[in-house]
Amino acid sequence: MASAFPKENPELVARLRDPSTVRSAFTEATRLYTEPLYWQIRRLVRDHDDANDLLQNTFMKAWSSIENFRGEAKLSTWLYKIAINESLGFLEREKRRQKVSLDDPEAANIHNISADTSLNGNALAQKLQDAIATLPEKQRIVFNMKYFDDMKYEEISEILGTSVGALKASYHIASKKIEQYFENND
Amino acid sequence: MAKDRENILEKARAEGFATPSAGMKVPDGYFASFSENIAAMLPERPELTKPAATKEPRTMWERLRPYVYMAAMFAGIWLMLQMFVSINPGRSLAPVEDNPVLADALSTEDFVFDYVYPDLDERDIVDDMLETEEIDSTFELDDLFGDDTENSDQTYILP
Repeated sequence: MASAFPKENPELVARLRDPSTVRSAFTEATRLYTEPLYWQIRRLVRDHDDANDLLQNTFMKAWSSIENFRGEAKLSTWLYKIAINESLGFLEREKRRQKVSLDDPEAANIHNISADTSLNGNALAQKLQDAIATLPEKQRIVFNMKYFDDMKYEEISEILGTSVGALKASYHIASKKIEQYFENND
Repeated sequence: MAKDRENILEKARAEGFATPSAGMKVPDGYFASFSENIAAMLPERPELTKPAATKEPRTMWERLRPYVYMAAMFAGIWLMLQMFVSINPGRSLAPVEDNPVLADALSTEDFVFDYVYPDLDERDIVDDMLETEEIDSTFELDDLFGDDTENSDQTYILP
């Protein structure tokens, strides 16, 4: 399966670096990256409205600091980092607001089942999302990127700044936990 | 059962849930309208299109200034040293004969023995005398110091 992210476009990156074309290039980038970024955020926060707000914030932040994008990192990596930071910040605020730990399986289930109203109704998909929701946030991000986006460990490593070995271990542990969840909730 | 558990992620993949949407839905036309909305929401950033301020070329004086300052500093130090030398001119050694008090004192044997010789080692004195051939290799210290070395049977051994 090919990676869910669009291929890096050097011409688009060059236009982003050119002051005369930066706005049109950024608009094009939003069109290209809206969907993959949305799903990444949505899988973390699960609620469509929250994901929508966070995606808007992601693009607004990217636009407000576009001059800091020097083209050294991939555009997708840069946007992914912003999106993940936004999502983690949101989850942290939510955690404090609700005073429940999202890493606590039971609390996470209550939160996510009530929040998730737009799954397509398939029991397996629902259960898989519930299982993923029990994972710690960082482990969840790694699992999502690998399992759903089919990203390479090297790409994930660039975004999260974690070694490939640690990512492989994290994904393996996450898979085991999900399998365990299915076993316990049969 | 165990086999089912092991294959649960593969089963979800086979059923098409291992996709970015992970089985979740969005309102129809959401992505297209989102992109349009966000493009309209982006605030103007005129500072991005402004050409970067070009640096004024440096004048000759600006380029030379650090070297001039450094040269002035060394010149100042040199002048200061010259000033100290001119303030203390008596550093040059005049002949002892020009100072009557010192010349008189040095001509007195007691003064020389009391203030000059105590700082000298006996060997230095003997070396000096040997060099000036005032004594020869058969010289004994008793000959020089008389009563003070009366009980000494020390014979100066030439180096």
